[in-house]
Amino acid sequence: MEKPAPLGYGLGLRPIYYEEILSSRPPIDWFEIISENYMLAGGRPLAMLERIRADYPIVMHGVSMSLASTDPLNFDYLRQLKALAERVEPAWVSDHVAWTGVHGVTLHDLLPIPYTRESLAHIVERIQRVQDFLKRRLVVENASTYVSFVDSEMSEHEFVREMAERADCLLLLDVNNVFVSSFNHGFDPVAFIDGVPAERVVQFHMAGHTDHETHRVDTHDQPVCDEVWALYEHARRRCGDVSAMIERDDNYPPLAELLDELQNMRDIDARISKERALSAA
Amino acid sequence: MKLADFQSLFQQRVLAGSGEADKPLLKKLRPSPRGAAPETLLDVYQTGYRVRLADFVAQDHPGLRAILGDEAFDALVDDYIDQCPSHDPNARWFTTGLPDFMRENARWRDDAAAVSMALFERAMVDAFDTADETPLTVQALAGFAPDDWARLAFEFDPSLTLLELVAGTIEAYGAAISEEAPANVDKPAAGEHIEYAAVWRVDHESAYRQLEPDEYVALSEARAGHAFGDICQMTAFQQAGEIAPERLAQSLSSWFEDGMIIGVRVREDDQASNTPSSA
Repeated sequence: MEKPAPLGYGLGLRPIYYEEILSSRPPIDWFEIISENYMLAGGRPLAMLERIRADYPIVMHGVSMSLASTDPLNFDYLRQLKALAERVEPAWVSDHVAWTGVHGVTLHDLLPIPYTRESLAHIVERIQRVQDFLKRRLVVENASTYVSFVDSEMSEHEFVREMAERADCLLLLDVNNVFVSSFNHGFDPVAFIDGVPAERVVQFHMAGHTDHETHRVDTHDQPVCDEVWALYEHARRRCGDVSAMIERDDNYPPLAELLDELQNMRDIDARISKERALSAA
Repeated sequence: MKLADFQSLFQQRVLAGSGEADKPLLKKLRPSPRGAAPETLLDVYQTGYRVRLADFVAQDHPGLRAILGDEAFDALVDDYIDQCPSHDPNARWFTTGLPDFMRENARWRDDAAAVSMALFERAMVDAFDTADETPLTVQALAGFAPDDWARLAFEFDPSLTLLELVAGTIEAYGAAISEEAPANVDKPAAGEHIEYAAVWRVDHESAYRQLEPDEYVALSEARAGHAFGDICQMTAFQQAGEIAPERLAQSLSSWFEDGMIIGVRVREDDQASNTPSSA
């Protein structure tokens, strides 16, 4: 499996940090942008992106491709996405195992699907068409979900594995999403990570969530919790050298706090490398 | 249940909330292993949709919130979300329809001051991400012979919007976004009085300023491609008496200083079009 080269430790690029990034050039290896926020004619977001991408690799992450929707693929959107990719030259382009609306409506959310044979055939065909249109292999992420369905014929990780293999796409493993969904639906998050095809995973997402006791919601407004750090270590041991990053989308802390979380990733990875070196010796 | 039918049901639940219509959907949900009620879990999606859209509207309309007050503003946003589902993948385009909704909706269309503020704030948002152009300085005029000046026509930055507003809209907006915003911003009194504004983008930020009536006319005509000399001859400037050319020259200078002008050309006499080409 040919995969893009690992980029190291990255951060979701958000406007609140533009000035600090440009003035202090923090030790971040790469940035991930939300593609839709830059699909614009001009203005400050694109100008900031141009300056930042002069010094850092960029990855494009979308939230509106609606790969699982039964609406027709939105080629106006895909044309804009392709134009942005030609301008930004990202290391890769990603979106989600999700749908965002039907009948022309968009709900601005990553909505769940039953994991059925029908859903699988549907999303595989659409990923293939998107890959053909964009002329690049797509990276597809597992989403957090809050409901699951009696019609599902397979587990989520079985669905993701078969989807990736049949569509020949790459995977973005969102470790926090695995944890949130496992909590909400009662599955084993370790089994999920062990079940996805590691050779197709090119990126990890790490983020915080909100605990509502009976369920957890993927809010990206908290630090990464201990349980998710433990899962990260497991994912790292299984998937090896994969680009990893922190997503933060609300309740923004000083940039230094996010750099601390990146350092935590580095420390975990250094410990794993050391253990491997010792056991090989 | 086919995937398309499931997605229609699910979307209806998000848009309309709980009710008789979502019983078939509830039958399809697995029980939560943590004891969360199915309604609670579906509400995560419904609430998320509404909160996200309300946040976008609130970010783009601080002035509207200030003059309506929180309660009326929230009611407006609720009405808008209820009646105008989002259709664009980029939520930035959801808020742009708010002034049109207000003008067409019986509950809001008579509130001229609120509609005026919504139009002004939409122009501010639209200016933020229009296409990039490079503004000219007044030095660009040095390349033209004095004999050509009367026939000069100008091209303006695509972010420029000219607005006719309820008097007091601009002052209320300024108060609302001030770092020391008062708890209540007085709503402008809608009546016969109007004011004029230019909204555009400069140095990557939306900008605005109030225009005197004669400058509003001149800028409107200049943006329509009319030549400098033709604008001087217009009724509005003739009424101003002998100072008209001087006044217009001052306006022209400020348009350059403000970064509004991106092109200058000599308009040929036989051109009937009111759309200038690039310099």
